[in-house]
Amino acid sequence: MNKPPLTGIRVADFTWVWAGPYCTMQLAHMGADVIRVESQTRMCVSRLTLPWAGGKTGPNRSGYFNQYNQGKRSIALNLKLESAREAARRLASKCDVVINNFAAGVMDRLGLGYADLARIKPDIIGVSLTGYGDSGPLRDYVAYGPAQVPLSGMSALTGYRGWPPMHVGFSYGDPNAGTHAAFAIIAALYHRERTGEGQYLDMSQWESTMALMGEAMLDWTMNQHQPERDGSRDPSMAPHGVFRCRDMPEPIAGSAVDMWVAIAVAGDDEFARFSQAVGRAELARDDRFATLAARKKNEDELEAIVTQWTSQRLAADAAEILQNAGVTAAVCATGRDLDEDPHLNERGFFVEHDHLEIGRVRHAGIPFRMSETPLAIKSPAPLLGQHTDEVLRDLLGYSAGEIENLRAEGALK
Amino acid sequence: MRRDDAIAMVGRSPPMRVKKTAMTGPLAGVRVIEAGEMVAAPYAAKLMADLGADVIKIERPQIGDRSRSRGPFPGGAAHPDKSGLFIYLNTNKRGITLDLESARGSKIFDRMIARADLLIHSCAPSEMGRIGLDFARIAAINPKLVMTSIAPFGLSGPHRDWRAEDITLWSAGGACYLNGARNHPELPPLKAYGYQAGYQGGAHAAAAAMGALFGVARGGAGQHVEISIQESVVAIIEMANTFWPYMRVVATRYGPKPVQPLDSVECKDGWIFLCCVEEHQWRQFVELMGNPEWAAEEIFNERFKRGQNWDALRPLVAEWVGQQTVQDLYQKAQARRVPFAPISSLGDLVNSEHLRARGFFVDVTHPVAGRFKYPGAPYQLSRTQWEIRRSAPLLGQHNQEVFAELGLMGEDLAALARDGVI
Repeated sequence: MNKPPLTGIRVADFTWVWAGPYCTMQLAHMGADVIRVESQTRMCVSRLTLPWAGGKTGPNRSGYFNQYNQGKRSIALNLKLESAREAARRLASKCDVVINNFAAGVMDRLGLGYADLARIKPDIIGVSLTGYGDSGPLRDYVAYGPAQVPLSGMSALTGYRGWPPMHVGFSYGDPNAGTHAAFAIIAALYHRERTGEGQYLDMSQWESTMALMGEAMLDWTMNQHQPERDGSRDPSMAPHGVFRCRDMPEPIAGSAVDMWVAIAVAGDDEFARFSQAVGRAELARDDRFATLAARKKNEDELEAIVTQWTSQRLAADAAEILQNAGVTAAVCATGRDLDEDPHLNERGFFVEHDHLEIGRVRHAGIPFRMSETPLAIKSPAPLLGQHTDEVLRDLLGYSAGEIENLRAEGALK
Repeated sequence: MRRDDAIAMVGRSPPMRVKKTAMTGPLAGVRVIEAGEMVAAPYAAKLMADLGADVIKIERPQIGDRSRSRGPFPGGAAHPDKSGLFIYLNTNKRGITLDLESARGSKIFDRMIARADLLIHSCAPSEMGRIGLDFARIAAINPKLVMTSIAPFGLSGPHRDWRAEDITLWSAGGACYLNGARNHPELPPLKAYGYQAGYQGGAHAAAAAMGALFGVARGGAGQHVEISIQESVVAIIEMANTFWPYMRVVATRYGPKPVQPLDSVECKDGWIFLCCVEEHQWRQFVELMGNPEWAAEEIFNERFKRGQNWDALRPLVAEWVGQQTVQDLYQKAQARRVPFAPISSLGDLVNSEHLRARGFFVDVTHPVAGRFKYPGAPYQLSRTQWEIRRSAPLLGQHNQEVFAELGLMGEDLAALARDGVI
């Protein structure tokens, strides 16, 4: 009875890799019927990428694809053929949102550009999610999520002191653009609900990544100041960093796994609690460490003292002891720690579904909850083309014979 | 300018008869109350405000949002109305001061709740009951209200009341462990710049709150939306959250990456990020390098092998890249549809012709901090405007105006101020 808020909203999803799929997964989380248009003839990169279920490769076995396409349907259309493009246009005409992350001009050539769509369905919401946006001199440049980190300025600000610019460790530009796009799409649906008007949404990954660094940009525009890379330190807290603990209790595949705890001490009171918790109450009275200014000045020495304590402990124990003493700390979690995290597990964050090819495997679930319209992931990520026939027949009105013809022609692969 | 861009962009494939309605944000008229600190809740409310919502930000009397004490500051001199973090995250909001812990403050808060569409807060879970942020109570006042609670670890579970800062949430969500220097296991996992856990919590909260508002617009009831910042980070760590369940592998910061080149390499005049995710991109790059013999080696002929053998391959690539200039290599690679990118400095971004043509940076005049360029629209909508209509509020700047809308004026207001309620 209480259906998730996007129930009844249908999305034709022409995106691939990660940004677009992360966006449409948020819409699916909130109840939208997301139909991914895919093809064996040009398979989504994420279907071809690690990790593989049980170590065996295959387009339906990638953890990358299966994590970020939960709750969606998939139809296979070979868009090189006009009959498949016709089916894609029919699909678009049945949808509220049509989203792509093709290079500029590709959707136009397929007859699926915003102008074409708006002609078929004037209140449609067309979304283009590109690296550089759909206007400006670099609009034809291509970008992948990992390249957004350096391009946006984040790499130049991230790194060990005195070292070259670093990355952040994953393709951050992708999911971030996806979440921002999901927000903007629902805002556009809200506008349509109130006015009947559709519109075109031009989403640049580059711009949405820079939105995460407003204070750095202002440091430049206020002071022409490019902050120096300073590891994990913070000007207003010390200690503030990630500190070595004992290795994970058992090795993985024969290798020891190094473990770390993140600690952030904000004020002198918290530092006194910290000193007490690590059995060194005198530190809070020591001139080298008693004030923030002193701790910042002697931070190398301070970090060595912190490491002395953390390195004798398991990360989970260190975090627990510090939190119990009123000090901000957390395990610097590996994928395994997340899987076994008592907190995430008690909250039921992970989900398991019966996937037709890989069986029951855990995936990260939905990071938001709704009290009156409980959200749940409806289904595991689809097999490639799993829903081709049902979508063509039930949604687009193709007869069994027409579907056979399309298949014989090679349009459904 | 911005609107012209949108129309010029649509102009390549013109939509039929775009009706020239007044360009306001899609959320014009939506009433939002924000009781947030630092990054997550203020960013969620900023996303709403910049699309036209009327956001009233509640701060503690005298003290205000903690972010007011964080820099950067113009000239480096700390001042609560000049914090770069605060003035960025709180554009388009009206600001009031109100003590939610006092009985009179709480009454005023309830009057605000009665007229609002959305409440976004980041009050500590253990404090929520005490200041009346109990959803059943709120829903009784306004059954159409969406109440959005952002908490570091969510509203339940054994870590619910754990203290948190950005670095501990980025770590607890599994992101921090992934970042560091290849082949340097002795260096600690490295935090990304800034307040990334906060921004992610805020962006996910905005999307979910927007979904719930849409449900209300279609006739549904108000509801309580809950966001865990830790979970928002776990949700975005690429393969690191499936490596363990799928393969019993722990992704590390110093081991080989699955695919290469995805690495920063030094040119003659700066750094460039090499990016060959797909095979055709590598082939194009090899051609650009003049088809060196080593590129044909069997150990480099496939992206996963290049990942495994990057220690051998990187010096070969780096030698060639070291003789190029950043802009020249960037342009030549892009001409072959290879997605390399420069390692931008802040100055590069502010001076980018592309971003200027798109109108990305916007000039905002703040009455105390001054006039500066701010990062602008993260998305452009063809029919409804992203727009900065006002600068971030001074502490308590809109008390009179907002409290007058609630019918509080004159002596009542003076008494509340005298008693420190506002």
